[in-house]
Amino acid sequence: MSEETKAPETKAPEATKAPEAEAAPEPVDPRIEQATERLEFLRGKVVAKFGEDVLEAAELKQFQPTITIKNQHWVEVVEFFKTEATLGFVYPELMAGTDYKDYIEVYVLLHSFTLDYDVSLKTRTPRENASIPSITPLFAGFNWEEREIFDLLGVNFPGHPDMRRIMLEDHWVGHPLRKDYVVEN
Amino acid sequence: MADFFSWVDKPLDTHAVLNMIIGAVVILAFILGVVTYSIYFQRKLIGWMQWRIGPNRVGPLGLLQTIADVLKLLIKEDVVPEKADRNIFLIAPILAFFPSFMVLAVIPFSANHVFTAYSNVGVLYYIALSAMTIIGVVLGGWASNNKYSLIGGMRSAAQMISYEVPLAMSILGVVLMAGSMNLVNIVEAQISFPYVWYIVPQFLGFCVFIISATAELSRTPFDLPEAESELVSGYNTEYSGFRFAFFYLAEYVYLFAMSGLGATLYFGGWSGPFLPGWIWFGIKVTCFIFFFFWLQATMPRIRTDQLLTFAWKVLIPLSIVNLVLTAVLKYLLH
Amino acid sequence: MGEIRTEEMLMNIGPQHPSTHGVLRVVVKVDGEIIKEADPVVGYLHRGTEKLAEDLQYTQIIPYTDRMDYLSSMVNNHAIVNAVERAMDLEVPERAEYLRIIVVELNRVMSHLVFLGTYLLDLGAMTPFLYAFADREQVVDFFNRLCGARLTYNYMRVGGVKWDTPDGWLDDVKKFVPYMRSQMGMFHELVTGNEIFLERVKGIGKFDAETALNYAMSGINLRSTGFNWDLRKNKPYSIYDRFDFNVIVGENGDCFDRYMCHMNEIMESLKIVEQALEQIPEGPVMGKVPKILRVPAGEYYSAIEGTRGELGVYIVSEGKDKPYRLKFRRPSFINLQLLPQQLKGQSMANLIAILGAVDIVLGEVDA
Repeated sequence: MSEETKAPETKAPEATKAPEAEAAPEPVDPRIEQATERLEFLRGKVVAKFGEDVLEAAELKQFQPTITIKNQHWVEVVEFFKTEATLGFVYPELMAGTDYKDYIEVYVLLHSFTLDYDVSLKTRTPRENASIPSITPLFAGFNWEEREIFDLLGVNFPGHPDMRRIMLEDHWVGHPLRKDYVVEN
Repeated sequence: MADFFSWVDKPLDTHAVLNMIIGAVVILAFILGVVTYSIYFQRKLIGWMQWRIGPNRVGPLGLLQTIADVLKLLIKEDVVPEKADRNIFLIAPILAFFPSFMVLAVIPFSANHVFTAYSNVGVLYYIALSAMTIIGVVLGGWASNNKYSLIGGMRSAAQMISYEVPLAMSILGVVLMAGSMNLVNIVEAQISFPYVWYIVPQFLGFCVFIISATAELSRTPFDLPEAESELVSGYNTEYSGFRFAFFYLAEYVYLFAMSGLGATLYFGGWSGPFLPGWIWFGIKVTCFIFFFFWLQATMPRIRTDQLLTFAWKVLIPLSIVNLVLTAVLKYLLH
Repeated sequence: MGEIRTEEMLMNIGPQHPSTHGVLRVVVKVDGEIIKEADPVVGYLHRGTEKLAEDLQYTQIIPYTDRMDYLSSMVNNHAIVNAVERAMDLEVPERAEYLRIIVVELNRVMSHLVFLGTYLLDLGAMTPFLYAFADREQVVDFFNRLCGARLTYNYMRVGGVKWDTPDGWLDDVKKFVPYMRSQMGMFHELVTGNEIFLERVKGIGKFDAETALNYAMSGINLRSTGFNWDLRKNKPYSIYDRFDFNVIVGENGDCFDRYMCHMNEIMESLKIVEQALEQIPEGPVMGKVPKILRVPAGEYYSAIEGTRGELGVYIVSEGKDKPYRLKFRRPSFINLQLLPQQLKGQSMANLIAILGAVDIVLGEVDA
């Protein structure tokens, strides 16, 4: 696995970009430094608990530590982030799904009041028979978000208590937020 | 005065029948006018209380607004929902309206006129008949085959039955004091010795009366049967056109009747200095009506369980206390 | 006497109902008037804002946000422009920042006034609605003078705001602040002490901070439980760190606390407006931004404290002038999730009280 190298790699363009915009000199943006530190800390925690295998990537997105987790380990890692006392990511802020043409990605933003910052967790699923284990039992606040992603992106969430369409009618065909969805007039 | 009421204890003759019919028609015309303008009064008054103008388009100062509204209602299609219980649906508004008009028979508008029944059970007659309206309301709510209507109908049944009790009990205090159930006699008792309106000795009773009356009339804060924000429109959700107008009319006739009853029982009815009796009666009734509208603009709505608890746990004990006190007082004074 | 046979009744509250504040539908199973089960059905106002945004340039998205939470369009504008500015690391001129704060906080006042009016209307009191709307009208007039629209302002741009203030506008706002304060005193006198009102809202729709956090609640719904969480303080954005204001928290997390939070937040917002009016400098209202906005490739999330909670924007960009994916974290939508639990065992009348206190806007729920 190459997460170690990957993380700084993706960070690098960001790091150069931000000072460019401010026309600032050489030193790295302190925000990036801080974020890298956080990312390493979180990544270390996950690796210590589950090993490298559960991770797909750990990188910075702008100033946001972002950890991509393998689909089959999704629930246990998210649960770890929530229940582990030193982490305490108990506040679900955002869940979003994105269709990347090759795969569908679900993005979750959690906030920890003990650490006082956010972490982004991601997982991926193939577009065919898209399925990601549900984390609604952990965070009730993702109930409707998961339904929305099911509705608009067609990702199934096994383990969800009430998997139905939420925005569109039950008999709707297709999932509008997919990139290949054709809008009919 | 006895002349006017000669038919009470004599066999019916043509003269008396004619009198009654004329009386009824005159009262009906009169009451329609009263209702029309109390609705106008309500809209204007609440408008002013809410920083609005109120109706001002139809006729000078909007005076013809209600008439226009009524005309609109009358020429509207009479819609009967397909799944409604047709016969009951059609008859319910009439059932609700008739008693409201009939109770007016016993309310003395002034010292002398032919239109008031000199009935010895006037109070009882009022209470008994006004209770009949509930049937109309419940049937209307049931027959509409609409869940909101049903809940509205049930709510009004619960509410009106509960509040009949304190209403009647508070009136009993007055009856005890006057020693008569005849509303004319009750007024006369207030203008003879000790020359005091019953609002003074019966203040507690009056408080119970006015609260129960508000509930009986289903006016804010007790407007649960028609709670717009909860039940859309309650029992009359499915009604339109002139059948809706009947419900509406019944509501406002009761408003007038209840105000008349209150004025008669506690404020000496048509009695008062200088002005003729009917003007005094009008003033007092207007004050009552104003009070109800004022409440409507001021209060939020109470919840069903709170409403019933309030009736059974507060108003009824209070009215019993009032009744006992009155009885004791009366006994001691004699 | 034998058992009385009873039957549960399925009722549709909405989508056309006076008290669902739009086209929300709640399917409730009632036993008499007691709710056994409630299932909110949303989506009647779904316009696919997020899908539409994928085909729009960033500036073109702004008017779409106006239509989400249509009671606080300025706040929505702020959310999207703030997100794009953060992603692009853009500077906003001082005056524009202050103007944004002023309009956003005025908008908060306006939106809370609508809450006050409609909530009391739900509870059966008609008059406060008209009083609140009369005051709201003044704010609407301010916005009308500022940007020519009464409801959908489309006022902010990435890098600043579209228009500077017309003559005398700031002075008029300055006069409005003390007036609104005195009006709040009147509202408290008229409404807050009313016995019937208190009976209707105290202890109703209660939940604790833990539940609220687990349900991802934010804004007043979260703060009413006593949990101090306001993005203006906790994740400072724009220039909120320059103002002195309090975060209003409740105690019990019931409808009354939510009502009081709304009322007190109006006062705090007025405080911010007042300070901003004092500090506002002269200068340009539009910063130097590229003609075509291209957000660098990557993912960005930034949130602001909206009127109803955390209003976040998640942007996935491929470096083009249009977002690859744009997701709004819509507080009304998320706050509504607790409704089935809140409603269980309550009466129909409480349904209205609870739903009203959540303070949703259907445009935002359905987006």
